[in-house]
Amino acid sequence: MAGRETQAASTLKFSFFHLMPYTDAEASAEWPVPNRGFDAQKAHGYYRAYIDAMIHAEECGFDWVGCNEHHFSPYGLMANCNVIGGALAYATRRIRIAMMGNLVPLNNPVRIAEEYAMLDCMSGGRLIAGLMRGIPHEYIAYNVNPDESWSRQREAIELILRCWTEPEPFGWQGEHFTFPQVSIWPKPLQKPHPPLVISASSLESARFAGEMRATMGMVLISDLAMAKECIAVYREAARKAGWQPKPENILIGMHTVIAETDSQAISSLREAKRYFDQVLMGGPRTAGRLVLQKSRYYQEAGSAERMRERLAKREAATLEQQIEGGMIFCGSPESVVRQIRRVHGELGNGVFNFTMKVGNLPDAAVKRGMELFRDRVLPEVKDL
Amino acid sequence: MKRPLIYLHPAGGVRPTPVLEKLKPHQPVFPGFDGTATLPGLNSRRGLGKWVGEFIDRQIGQPCDVIGCSFGGAVALWLAIQRPELVDHLVLECPAGLQTIDAKLRADPAEFRKALFVHPEKALPVSKTKEVEAEIRRMLTHYGAEDGRDSELIERVAEVKSQTLILHGTEDRIIGRQSVQLLRSRLPRSFLVYVWDAAHNIEVDQPERMLGLVGAFLERSDAFVVPRG
Repeated sequence: MAGRETQAASTLKFSFFHLMPYTDAEASAEWPVPNRGFDAQKAHGYYRAYIDAMIHAEECGFDWVGCNEHHFSPYGLMANCNVIGGALAYATRRIRIAMMGNLVPLNNPVRIAEEYAMLDCMSGGRLIAGLMRGIPHEYIAYNVNPDESWSRQREAIELILRCWTEPEPFGWQGEHFTFPQVSIWPKPLQKPHPPLVISASSLESARFAGEMRATMGMVLISDLAMAKECIAVYREAARKAGWQPKPENILIGMHTVIAETDSQAISSLREAKRYFDQVLMGGPRTAGRLVLQKSRYYQEAGSAERMRERLAKREAATLEQQIEGGMIFCGSPESVVRQIRRVHGELGNGVFNFTMKVGNLPDAAVKRGMELFRDRVLPEVKDL
Repeated sequence: MKRPLIYLHPAGGVRPTPVLEKLKPHQPVFPGFDGTATLPGLNSRRGLGKWVGEFIDRQIGQPCDVIGCSFGGAVALWLAIQRPELVDHLVLECPAGLQTIDAKLRADPAEFRKALFVHPEKALPVSKTKEVEAEIRRMLTHYGAEDGRDSELIERVAEVKSQTLILHGTEDRIIGRQSVQLLRSRLPRSFLVYVWDAAHNIEVDQPERMLGLVGAFLERSDAFVVPRG
């Protein structure tokens, strides 16, 4: 099947998500991560390899290809994921381009509305518009008070929606954003606007996604019970807002490594995850701790504590425990099929978001995993 | 030179707000509101527009800037249609008249009151007797404005030629967004601005934002869109 486009007609949707890590960095817990060792020639090669993999996702039967925004560390080289979206728009034909996404509270909302509208028009209406609050350390990078993250997020999303849907020029007089007059060119191709994804890895963010009639995106689950709780809160918030989410409105993110055998996959992931945990997460972990200590990034009582517990639980778990606990997918195609069925059965989600480039996992192994997904995993799970 | 400013009140009558305390406009009380008597033959918003024109002739004697709030917004539009020479700059704060107000909301006074504000705690105390309040409520019927819509106004609204600023609270459930969008589409010299975290009573919910906007618009006209240096 290699070399031809696989038409995605599956009920269960799959997203190929890329963090675009810098894979030759020294371990550092400093924030910001010093960039004195940054090698632009290497970065040139990374971008080429990563964008090739993202384009290849279409041939491998994925429904979405996902990008996101991070700053000031080797964790991700997509400071503006819309640039990558532009590269994907003309190199692909079918796959939906999922921006998961622009960090709404940190950026100019009108600019986000404009760039997303460009991507939607350029791609022929294939944009999935992620409107993310971001992870705590990004607030230090862009010098935005983390205490304001929720109020900025709410206001910015409302402004973005009006940029897309208002029939006449308008102005905005807000708490965080003021624009005397707005009238964006272009407007999105999808009407009334592209589908929304909002991060929902905590109870308060799950509630917000439900209120906003958006797909909930859980990119970090520490156990299935916690994920179920977030989904229940999301469904209840949606009900109160007068709508009922479908399975496709629930997106679950997973580190996913597929190899010929379980032992190959586990061995590859163990090595790659070490780089992820020790190098890529080093600086962000430090900054995240500072933000959680010194701000009200999580506003609901107990939210910060719950997040700390989740991260600690994830980090303390062995690889085998993480696989068993439904935190990651890893193994032979047959094992991954079983894992997908189990998590899907428990959570009832309609979209899986795979991060297959975990840490410094070699690109050849990522590509092999994508092809195993296409040939031996997708046929078994697409109709779930 | 600063022009005289006139404020046309909503269906609740004249009420103190931080915006009015700061702007200190002329505030004519429509006949029948706040303990005044109705006038024979004056029973429409169009008629009130003409009556306000006569008030300006009599009391001010020169063109004015006009702020019309809700019911008063419809009256302000009628004033600008019938006496364009009297209206210099026009500010329409969640103007009524262009759309039917939700019947369920009208039928439920408690819910209607809730829909007025996002921040009711900011409202200044009002001292009106129950009798006066009851009479004020009857005035909507008296002026043919019970359901909010004024078909003749909708037909003629494009005749307004004044430079106009239309304000709408993002949480306004009484006057729908379609109303202000319609106005923006029909008034060639208009600007529409949404005020975040405000319901129907923008003056109460977000007085600083409203004062900033109105002050800049009345002072700098269409150049209010240019950031100040």
